[in-house]
Amino acid sequence: MAGAALEIDRVEAAYGAVKVLKAVSLAVRPGEFVALLGSSGCGKTTLLRAISGFVPVASGRILVDGRDISGLPPDKRDMAMVFQSYALWPHMTAAGNIGYGLKLRGWDRARTAERVGQMLAMLKLDGLGGRMVTQLSGGQRQRVALGRALAVDPRILLLDEPLSNLDARIREDVRHEIKALQNKLGITAIHVTHDREEAMVMADRIVILDAGEIAQVGSPEEVYNRPASTFVASFMGAGNVVRLTARRDGDGLVLGAGQLSNEIRVPAESVAGGAGDQVVAHFRGEAVRLGAPDAGDRGMLVLKGRVAQASYPGGHWRYGVTVGSQHFMVDDPRRLHVGESVGIGLPLDSLHLFAAGADSGPAERV
Amino acid sequence: MRNPRFVGLLLVAPALLAVGALFVYPLLFSVASAFTSKEGQATLANFARAYELYSVDIAFTLVIVVTSTLLCGLLAIAIGGYLTLGENARAVAILKWLYRWPLFIPFVVAAQCMRTFVAKNGLMNNSLVSLGILEPIQTTSFLDWRGIVITFVWKQTPFVALLVAGAMASLDRSTIEAARNLGAGRLRILVEIVVPQVSSTLVVALILSFVTMMSVLSVPIMISGESPTMMTVDMAFRINAYGDYGTANALGVLSYLMTGAVAWIYLRRGIREGGRP
Repeated sequence: MAGAALEIDRVEAAYGAVKVLKAVSLAVRPGEFVALLGSSGCGKTTLLRAISGFVPVASGRILVDGRDISGLPPDKRDMAMVFQSYALWPHMTAAGNIGYGLKLRGWDRARTAERVGQMLAMLKLDGLGGRMVTQLSGGQRQRVALGRALAVDPRILLLDEPLSNLDARIREDVRHEIKALQNKLGITAIHVTHDREEAMVMADRIVILDAGEIAQVGSPEEVYNRPASTFVASFMGAGNVVRLTARRDGDGLVLGAGQLSNEIRVPAESVAGGAGDQVVAHFRGEAVRLGAPDAGDRGMLVLKGRVAQASYPGGHWRYGVTVGSQHFMVDDPRRLHVGESVGIGLPLDSLHLFAAGADSGPAERV
Repeated sequence: MRNPRFVGLLLVAPALLAVGALFVYPLLFSVASAFTSKEGQATLANFARAYELYSVDIAFTLVIVVTSTLLCGLLAIAIGGYLTLGENARAVAILKWLYRWPLFIPFVVAAQCMRTFVAKNGLMNNSLVSLGILEPIQTTSFLDWRGIVITFVWKQTPFVALLVAGAMASLDRSTIEAARNLGAGRLRILVEIVVPQVSSTLVVALILSFVTMMSVLSVPIMISGESPTMMTVDMAFRINAYGDYGTANALGVLSYLMTGAVAWIYLRRGIREGGRP
């Protein structure tokens, strides 16, 4: 991509014989905030460490502003990383930590102090510069780590699950703070996380990784509403899966689950990967409407089932509903009883449809 | 068996007795006898004699042990640093395998080896001559204070390195990567990031080495038994030649004071760091 701040070109990496990254390609625009999202072992941290130079690249190139940096050691890459453990130096003060990168760049004491002061003020750490980092709270340490990375004004900011050690409540605030700061400074940022919501809230673009490959790249809205594969659909929360039969009907398809549901007509192109006679539908528990089992609503697929489990996580009820031999988790505001017959109403726009047996595979790379 | 305190005491009693009989009693006895004349009266005469006869050796001992301790520290940092930050996996593996060897060699054997190594026609000089670094005429014997220092450093560095390298290996690796990421070279990371974080372990290892070296008799006797020499040699001489336990014990008390001073520096440092030893 022309004008990319960071370009990853068919990068492969391995730990011994195990290939962790398989020809990953990605371009990041200047000032963009990209989240690498995936479950444990998908290669997201390895990709970040390959970018920072801590994991050698087996093949492929990493370019910053068009310059190949794949062979450079980590200390020559002009990037700054915020580590999961913060990696603050316990024998230094907060100001010492923040100013260390400037010392390495040969800044004099007065200039360093001024810059450190700016960082402390920006990160709401005024008055804490003289404290040893071991005397700071988790949130404060996290900000010192961020300050240390931002103080050197790096070309690219790398964030390795920086929020995972924070309390849930503080984490919500810090997400927005980091995003706001990144917007304000216009810095290019790559953020590794396994937290879907965190990626959605913070990133301009989300890269979903699966087993060392990019499964999909897109805006939060795209990957949420238009998952490119069954993996992405499941990962983005559409974890209920139902297998449907498909029958051609003119330019559309008629979908149904036999005795367990009614039939609905959908446009043929709504099935990713082309429709065969079997279709896999993913849907989110919160996108359904529970109603009577025989409430045949046009344009809505109704699965006939029975409430097997009920819990109240807050705001709505969560039900485990059994349909035939399958089990679905769905939400509804109304109180229902275990054993009650219900219909799970699935509006067409709540269904993510894929050709059965043929996962549409990695999405086209952006 | 109803009183748990009694059971506890019973359990530690053998250890307590052993420490009391084999360490505390002889220690107190030797300290007391340092302040006692042959006639059994309290006196400082033993210290006066020790100072009069051996003041040079006392200073000599201190210089040798302090120098050796510092050199051990520097080499251990270099070894630990390479083991932690080295990027050549094969070199790291070889060093890891090699550096511990002297740990398993007793001081007396080390001293014997060093006699042949650092002598005028020893292996060290012969190697330097054959490498063309020295002319045969320039070779001198190192069987003096330098030989003692070389032996101590050779023998004690692995011990310090073992502890220091262990502490370095247990550091949060990302603190090293964070410095690397910001642009620090490896030497700088060693000095500014790694060593400060393992300083407590380093100091403990150096104090233990200091105490060990203060008490070694075989090395100074075998490498350089002539004056000036170390206090341990003088103590052995007072006892073997004159049966003069008083002066020997006075010298012993002085070595306790030296090691005690070092331990005090360490403890004070621990308190300043917030009670963390």
